[in-house]
Amino acid sequence: MKRPLHVVLLGAVAALWLVPYLWMVLTSFKTLKEIVAAPTAPLPSGLTFDAYRAVFEAMPVWRYFLNTTVMALAIAGIQIAVALPAGYALAKLHFTGRKLAFALVVATLLIPAQVRFVPVFAMLAEVGLVNSMTALVLPFGVSAFGTFLIRQALLSVPDALIEAARMDGASEARIIYGLLAPLLRPTLAAFFMFSFVYHWNDYFWPLVMTTDDRVRTLPLGIALLREQGSGVRWHIVMAGNVVLSAPALAVFALTQRHLLRAVAGR
Amino acid sequence: MLSRRALVSGLAAASVTTSCRSDDAPKGRRVASLWFTYGGKNREVLEKLVRRFNTSQNAHFIRAVFQGDYFEGLAKLRTAIAARAAPALSHVVGEVVPYLAEAGVLEPMDRYPGFGELDIIPELGQAKSWIAGDQRPTVALPFNRSTPICYLNGKLFEQAGLKAPTTWNELREVARALTVRDGARAKRYGFCCPVNWWFWVALLQQAGGEVVEPDGRITLGGEAGVRATEFWQTLVNVDRTMKPPPGRDYNAWEATNQDYLAGRAAMIWTSTAFLRYLEDNAEFKVVAAPLPRDARYAVPTGGTHWVLLKSAAPEEKASAWEFLRFMHEPEQVIDWATQTGYMPVTRAAVKRLESSGYYAKHPNDRVAYDQLAVARPWPWSKELFRIQRETVQPRLESAVLSGKNARALLAEARERLQGNR
Amino acid sequence: MRPRSALEPYVLMAPTALLLAVFFFYPLGFAAHQSLYEWDLLTPPRYVGLDNYRELWASGELYRAFTTTFVFSVVVVAGSMLLGLGLALGLDRPGSFASFVRGAVFSAYVVSWVSVALLWLWLLDADAGAFTRLVRALGGPAIDWLGDPAYALYALAGVTIWKLAGYAMVLFIAGLQEIPKVLHEAAALDGANAIRRFTHVTWPLLRPTAAFVGTTSLIASFQVFDVVRVMTQGGPVQATTVFVYAIYEQVFLDLRVGRASSMVVVFFVLLLALTLLQLWVWQRKRGV
Repeated sequence: MKRPLHVVLLGAVAALWLVPYLWMVLTSFKTLKEIVAAPTAPLPSGLTFDAYRAVFEAMPVWRYFLNTTVMALAIAGIQIAVALPAGYALAKLHFTGRKLAFALVVATLLIPAQVRFVPVFAMLAEVGLVNSMTALVLPFGVSAFGTFLIRQALLSVPDALIEAARMDGASEARIIYGLLAPLLRPTLAAFFMFSFVYHWNDYFWPLVMTTDDRVRTLPLGIALLREQGSGVRWHIVMAGNVVLSAPALAVFALTQRHLLRAVAGR
Repeated sequence: MLSRRALVSGLAAASVTTSCRSDDAPKGRRVASLWFTYGGKNREVLEKLVRRFNTSQNAHFIRAVFQGDYFEGLAKLRTAIAARAAPALSHVVGEVVPYLAEAGVLEPMDRYPGFGELDIIPELGQAKSWIAGDQRPTVALPFNRSTPICYLNGKLFEQAGLKAPTTWNELREVARALTVRDGARAKRYGFCCPVNWWFWVALLQQAGGEVVEPDGRITLGGEAGVRATEFWQTLVNVDRTMKPPPGRDYNAWEATNQDYLAGRAAMIWTSTAFLRYLEDNAEFKVVAAPLPRDARYAVPTGGTHWVLLKSAAPEEKASAWEFLRFMHEPEQVIDWATQTGYMPVTRAAVKRLESSGYYAKHPNDRVAYDQLAVARPWPWSKELFRIQRETVQPRLESAVLSGKNARALLAEARERLQGNR
Repeated sequence: MRPRSALEPYVLMAPTALLLAVFFFYPLGFAAHQSLYEWDLLTPPRYVGLDNYRELWASGELYRAFTTTFVFSVVVVAGSMLLGLGLALGLDRPGSFASFVRGAVFSAYVVSWVSVALLWLWLLDADAGAFTRLVRALGGPAIDWLGDPAYALYALAGVTIWKLAGYAMVLFIAGLQEIPKVLHEAAALDGANAIRRFTHVTWPLLRPTAAFVGTTSLIASFQVFDVVRVMTQGGPVQATTVFVYAIYEQVFLDLRVGRASSMVVVFFVLLLALTLLQLWVWQRKRGV
């Protein structure tokens, strides 16, 4: 039984989050003249694709898109590949320094990118790796969050399972990647999505690690659209923003349930 | 409404423009990278000229990469130099050239073929842009050079029967006459100017001072500096005829332009670089005028200079040099200047424009060029950009926006500078 | 369980250890070391001892960056938690409409900060922004959200809350759903109204979730960079120069790597202290 007040409130909430996007899309179909003349007129007089054309002419959108996707995939993939053995060791094996190791891993959550970037930049400059995909991917090879998640998940896997596999003669690598990883599929999938989205959207690290547009990522490229000094061309900026947000929103629409569960599942 | 045609043509345009990107170098050419920092109209013109160069010959190819605004681009350039990933060619603001030259990262150009024939206007080239600029190896060639000028709303001035102010006092009167109040704020401000280093230096120089004395002491204009700051404070807080624009770096410039175009500011100071943009977008007659004087007429120059980076490979530098020669040919100089509003940088180009009657038809374009007669050179000081960014610019905004004591602020700034050495 | 060989755990930890050492701990040490020098990336570094720290304090830069960041974080954490909790309480119900609204709120969390920043840059534009005009049309004041030093930081905080609320909401919903319904029913039978049910049943059991949300939101708010860079570039008049933006500016725009490194060290210490403090506060409250 829906009470009218509730519906109105929920509607208002939805509007607060949806109307901005709607506005963005509508603006992207206007012409500059329209925007200057009547900025708050909601509907464009006709659907013009000029803004989109300008975006695609101003930058190699597909290349940026590819760069960003490859980078995010590589990061998420490496993070999982590295976190699995570490999580396993931290969850299942007794060894000296285990508590310290775990504490150190978690402590790195407090060392954000802005703290690390200058030395990393200087290091990579020494070996000529600035402005390369390596510079964008390798520094994120470890995810403290991912290691934490995997360790948590592995804690609830019964030891007996692993011991049985050992007795069957399976190598540790086989156990980790062949037995445990499939068991952890929901966690891994959730973490993969989380990490992929996070790094796909990353602006700061590519900003400081790339110098030209060879490995430039899409958030960087689109941010450059706000060319200042001679009048921001809002229709172009918004068109670029649509291009930037669309993939994330599309993926979100399709995988909504999983992603929400991923965040809530801690 | 959405027609299938529009959709198809839009998608086609997208795929076509991405597949024939102009930065895919054809085989067999020497490639040199150019990092540039404009947006909007100026970017289009530059890219057109780069394309013209690339298609006009077979040996070289210039790959132009957009890097954001002046500051972002400069930041990227410096870090790229540190990372040994610098391009062959870029352009930088005048304030930073001495710093880069002293750090040894710029390539001297005097020995390059054809250097002597460039025919550069001395006030715009290194020779007169910096004190004793001609006594050093040439590391900078003028690209988009500008001076601050005054833009008047032709219609409003005609209606009020006013002319461009020639002194500071006249400016105050004109601004007062043209301001239309609306409670605490104003519906139309008589005057608008970005609270920015460049215009402050102009005011300071007009009041008779210099930022850096010839002997190298950084005085920030001394009394003249205080006078300049107080002039703005008076206009903003006392007369309330000047609108303080928001933001930092280039937001303020843009806001000024928009206010002028929308009729919210009757008279503005901004760069000659926006001349074409303002003329194209104004619904009234745009009249350009030189800046007024206080103790004297004076303006700083602005815009950027081409620089070759020493760390690039010799072949890249050679290709970049050929591009520079191309850009200094009269045809390109004229195209660049007339399509943007920046000044033409070679004497041959100016002669051609005069003889073709261009200036007769576009008197606004002459204003910045004529003002060169009173342009003052910058000191060759490697501290200049730090003074600008760290010391002066942050204090300027607070001085004007919050009306604090100008003399105290500048004295404190000078002290800071002494401490920082 | 016992490792198969003495070396096994270390081998398994090796990639993690190596990457963390190279990309996390070494940089931290390097920053501490670099903070004792003056370096502009182009010329060799020059030893200056503790001068950078002294300058940082004397110039007021440290104090300013800290207060700006602190105010910003407090507003963001409080705002996103309150809003997130409110949304969770209101939207924790079955039905496709509620599900749709939850999705709408969370969608802001999924897109990039650049997206959100560009979007609100347009909406908050002093003249043509839809939000600005709406406020004025409804009789509100004509505020230049991003250009007025008094409001800019709060405008950015508002945008950040808009983006983070979805995250807090989802976590709170998960926390709410873990509370057994029988507890609510029992309390209701005992005559407790909605408010008392909340304070006596819901909130105590939601505390761990709140602690987690609070801590992660705090860490996130301290690292906010994109919105500042895209929307205000630290202005107007440095009103929005939060710590990480100040560090970026020092390196890239002012070319003072040594000074930036000293800021990095201070920032890290502060973040560590604040996080531990937050955790301690939440732990203590639980005992009461």
